[in-house]
Amino acid sequence: MGNQKILIVDDDPDLRQALRLRLRANRYDTVNAVDGYSAIALAYKEHPDLIILDLGLPAGDGFVVLDRLQRDDKLSTIPVIVLTARDPQSSEQRALEAGAAAFFQKPADNTELLDVIRATLPKGNAVGTALPS
Amino acid sequence: MNEQSTHILLIEDNPGDADLVRLRLVESKSAVDVSCVDCLSDGLASLAQQQPSVILLDLNLPDSQGAETFRKVRDKAPDVPVVILSGQDDEGLAMKALHQGVQDYLVKGSITSGALNRAVRYAIERQALLRSLEMSRKQQLEFKNQFLSHVSHELRTPLTCIHQFVTILLDGLAGEVSAEQRDHLQTILKSVNQLGAMVRDLLEASRVESGKVRIEPRCVAIGDLIRLAVAMMQATAREKQVGLEVGLDNRIPFVQADPDRILEVLINLIDNGVKFTPPGGAVTVQACLVPTDPDFVYISVTDTGCGITPEARPLIFERLYQDPNAVDNNRKGLGLGLFIAKELVGLHGGRIWFASEPGDGSTFSFTLPLYSLAKLLFPVITRQGCLRDAIVLLKVDLRPRSKPARGNWKDTCQHCLEILQRCVYLDKDLVLPPMATPGPEQTFLVVASTNMDRVQIMMTRIREQLEKIPDLKANGELALSAAAVTLPDPADPLEKQVQDIAHRVTEMARFALGVKQNSK
Repeated sequence: MGNQKILIVDDDPDLRQALRLRLRANRYDTVNAVDGYSAIALAYKEHPDLIILDLGLPAGDGFVVLDRLQRDDKLSTIPVIVLTARDPQSSEQRALEAGAAAFFQKPADNTELLDVIRATLPKGNAVGTALPS
Repeated sequence: MNEQSTHILLIEDNPGDADLVRLRLVESKSAVDVSCVDCLSDGLASLAQQQPSVILLDLNLPDSQGAETFRKVRDKAPDVPVVILSGQDDEGLAMKALHQGVQDYLVKGSITSGALNRAVRYAIERQALLRSLEMSRKQQLEFKNQFLSHVSHELRTPLTCIHQFVTILLDGLAGEVSAEQRDHLQTILKSVNQLGAMVRDLLEASRVESGKVRIEPRCVAIGDLIRLAVAMMQATAREKQVGLEVGLDNRIPFVQADPDRILEVLINLIDNGVKFTPPGGAVTVQACLVPTDPDFVYISVTDTGCGITPEARPLIFERLYQDPNAVDNNRKGLGLGLFIAKELVGLHGGRIWFASEPGDGSTFSFTLPLYSLAKLLFPVITRQGCLRDAIVLLKVDLRPRSKPARGNWKDTCQHCLEILQRCVYLDKDLVLPPMATPGPEQTFLVVASTNMDRVQIMMTRIREQLEKIPDLKANGELALSAAAVTLPDPADPLEKQVQDIAHRVTEMARFALGVKQNSK
């Protein structure tokens, strides 16, 4: 059984790379999308086990992506964790109501984020293990 | 406002005075129409129908006297300018009313048509000017808040990037790190975290200022909160070789407070204390009851630091204030901590103050209202001076299905609480402020003025409503139960009966929560 696959959606290349390094170290495979449109396209093509989604995105912001995912039978089962620089007071409730499984404000605590990823991922072939700190 | 349509509402009970005013208005030959009423209630009724351009008001009316008259008029029509008609003997009162927002006053008996005309026109102009000033002040505030919110958002992205890559290096994900490199990386990380805290403070201060902070009061064990804050600050204190201690009264009752916000206040005060205390000194956090002020818990943070200079004292709670004389090698913050603390304590209905001697340390103290169940219960469980016939304590337990809880469990619980509040009758049931619990399990208690038969219907209704919440259905379990509260001796005074009930409910609640904690 292969590693679980996580789709990272963020328009900032450095943040994408940082997250990719972090997730790889925890034995997750990653795919990247830079905007809302390619996020949906990649979700179809790659069928990831989980999506980490920024809210401020070009070509369809995070809420548009959440809405599209929710309305698609094939995609609505993929859990989404929102990771954004936006203020939780204005966005958290809205993101959760739109179907996100969890909300993190950047910069997120890595341990906490990985815990929630592990708890949110569909069980079965869970392989993500924390590195000894 | 078009001069053709100047509409004046005259509220004056003396027909002679009223006629005189009318006469002067006619003499002034300006186009006005006047409606006249002779008591406040008719005046208020008229204001509810139509807002005049200006109100001419006698303060002493058959149904209202003095400043109270103006207050009632202003509450009804805050945007309409008011000119007072005062007698010769109460000019002092009229002067006082000017400070409360009256535009002008005229002394009856010496009113000329020119003066009256001028007073009316100026009152209208000044009121319009005031309103536009207020509008632009609000717009500026709104703009400033949007700007701050935008800036802090933009700052957060590069900050996140630095944070991420430093932790990647520190965690060895990019190869071995030497001890010296690790040291430098730790320094970077510390600075980034400071920067992050400043961005947070900036946003928090603007939010507090614009009234956008919501307080969600709960029944909080303040001692636990203090210990948590102290534990969180222990590393900072140790690094500076400052002792950090807790001193608590044995029996500190619960307070009614938002635990997240009060934790923020405590951390701000402790952080300040540590910052201004030299190595070898100590910071002590205490909580106690003060016999002369029995409705509040007093919390204080005492340091052995440099103290506050007399010049700094009046300014210390101001935004962005930093004591220029506080020579400190440590980096300063933005000077927002005490401002935020003051505002947050104020939102809880508490006070904050300090005592300090230069060179001899400072003590910052604040108060939080005691959680008084009897006070909350009184209007709910009594009716027409008697206790209700039957009272039941209903318990709603929420527990997450997995650990750690999936989804955003805290929000799910909050959502349940909101739904629960909509399932009860406001006049005879009370959803108790939830206990801040350490674990993810949450228990909500409702005191319901009903009997054990009818409470079943209520429980069915609550269950139906809560089960509609998708997050709860997916991630949690729900359990409901109810128990009758034994009623006290009806011969006792009502206050005593309510206190007895409050006492019993507290015991039952403690038992309900205690059992849950033991079964973990």
